[in-house]
Amino acid sequence: MGNSPADFSQLASDAILYNPSDLACWVDSLLTEFAEPPPTCSSDFIVDPVNNQTVVNSAWTFAEPHTPQVHQNITYDEQQSLDNQLTVVTAMEEDSGIRLVHMLMTCAECVQSGDLSLATSLIDDMQGLLTHVNTVCGIGKVAGHFIDALSRRIFQGMGGGSVNGGSAFENEILYHHFYEACPYLKFAHFTANQAILEAFDGHDCVHVVDFNLMHGLQWPALIQALALRPGGPPLLRLTGIGPPSPDGRDSLREIGLRLAELARSVNVRFAFRGVAASRLEDVKPWMLQVNPKEAVAVNSIMQLHRLLGCEQTRNSPIDTVLSWIRGLNPKIMTVVEQEANHNQPGFLDRFTEALYYYSTMFDSLEACRIQPEKALAEIYIQREIGNVVSCEGSARVERHEPLAKWRRRLSGAGFRALRLGSNAFKQASMLLTLFSAEGYSVEENEGCLSLGWHSSPLIAASAWQAVPAWDNHMSSS
Amino acid sequence: MVQNHRREDHETGGENKEKRPKFFINDHVDILIEILERLDGRSLCVAASVCRLWCTIASNDSLWENLCFRHVSPPPSSVRSVVLALGGYKRLYTGCVRPVRSRLGRVRRASWARDEVQLSLSLFCVDYYERLGGSNSNGRLVEKSSPSSLMFLCKPVNV
Repeated sequence: MGNSPADFSQLASDAILYNPSDLACWVDSLLTEFAEPPPTCSSDFIVDPVNNQTVVNSAWTFAEPHTPQVHQNITYDEQQSLDNQLTVVTAMEEDSGIRLVHMLMTCAECVQSGDLSLATSLIDDMQGLLTHVNTVCGIGKVAGHFIDALSRRIFQGMGGGSVNGGSAFENEILYHHFYEACPYLKFAHFTANQAILEAFDGHDCVHVVDFNLMHGLQWPALIQALALRPGGPPLLRLTGIGPPSPDGRDSLREIGLRLAELARSVNVRFAFRGVAASRLEDVKPWMLQVNPKEAVAVNSIMQLHRLLGCEQTRNSPIDTVLSWIRGLNPKIMTVVEQEANHNQPGFLDRFTEALYYYSTMFDSLEACRIQPEKALAEIYIQREIGNVVSCEGSARVERHEPLAKWRRRLSGAGFRALRLGSNAFKQASMLLTLFSAEGYSVEENEGCLSLGWHSSPLIAASAWQAVPAWDNHMSSS
Repeated sequence: MVQNHRREDHETGGENKEKRPKFFINDHVDILIEILERLDGRSLCVAASVCRLWCTIASNDSLWENLCFRHVSPPPSSVRSVVLALGGYKRLYTGCVRPVRSRLGRVRRASWARDEVQLSLSLFCVDYYERLGGSNSNGRLVEKSSPSSLMFLCKPVNV
């Protein structure tokens, strides 16, 4: 490699330096970048001074005017002070944190038993206690959200909730930032895509039904993988289900157009169909227009739990939907759900579980440094908390159930589990290694993958196939 | 560079009293390309700031294609059209392959080399898709024009 200083100086006479005064330290920063960097080294790419930024720009991208590194709102100084904030936890704060948790549990117990006056006074006490605790991170932040949810439950009754508080547009934005800030959704998408890709092997006409399209972030990677599969891409049809958008915007169609443009760039024949429905149980199979000759994949990322109404009647929404899914005879159904038990009838049990689950999730989010992604992701999670704690009946849609329960439910509905292969596991492990925090872990559990933070599983992905019908269903043979 | 010196010796050994111009690599673009093809990413970027000619050559996408697939068996030909459609090899390398490789370097297993490139390609595709969204008049939706899905790759590794 011809990088010796002698060669460098020989060419210096013909050199054009983009920023002569800073070339030396820029080269230094490049040379030190690949040594095992101390945490501060990264600031070379983040820090504001305009000179350094332009030099870095011109090194890495000549044609494009911007680089991914440019977009950082937190300056180096702020970063330092944030770090300090995070690491300093006094003994008194720890005590207050523990007291907060105890008070939260007591308050939840009061709510369950109906002692609302005591609950109210506890809420006041807790809000007082919050002022002594660091609410920027740790237990203080999570406790704050739970206190809010509890007080909403007490004061507004149980329909008051965050589930209908946000418009579809807001929810999409929050979801997008949650996607960026932590790996849960990326893990879900990549794992599901891998399973779908393997299931579609050998088929020329494929149809994917997405139960919650949002911005369609899952599908570019699948389109690209199909474009590159040996034997060429199939004809891909995508049916995206999503809430209807108000004021004339057709967000489903816009996403469809974007995906179509991507597919066209990579030469994949693509057709999109949007189904607008405010609830999943309103969707009927004829709306999906499934062709009997095509291979169907049904993709549900954190949607099935919304169908678990509290009444266990025979025609509960979940049974209806599962039976028409089965009627489609999909080659694969990918199910990703939160690995939590938030659908227990008893309020206190649910509250305890939720407190533990969301504390873990907030913990994992601490490692995220990008703003505003982190803040908006927290609002996204906060809305979930609000729904689990302060809503009841049909307003409570976040009815998470653990994988074991889903296994029983899906097996009972005529599905059998497909093992997610080693490719999916490898891809998930690689994906996690890329994330900046080292607490994430992927585990394999009887053919299903789960992603967790410090060995507490938080989200689980599984794949299913319809068992050939033995009763008189109207399914193809 | 070894070739370089041999030529120099040959030239100066023959007629050393005459005023012959010294060997100048920029006169031999084919050799220059051969050399640049063997550089790693960082060196290629350093080389690109040397002079206009080197800059032009270094921004040639095929050099970056080499870099992406250096430790991997050659990919099928269909990959190139896809990568070019999504933004080109230089963007793929600087945005995805390099950060992925350096992050995974600590836990690298030999069998992962091809999967790293495939994962990079998938992330690259998501990035392209988000950049598509930036050109929409979607109001607040994608206000920031820079892609956000690769932000996590650019963040410092925080142990």
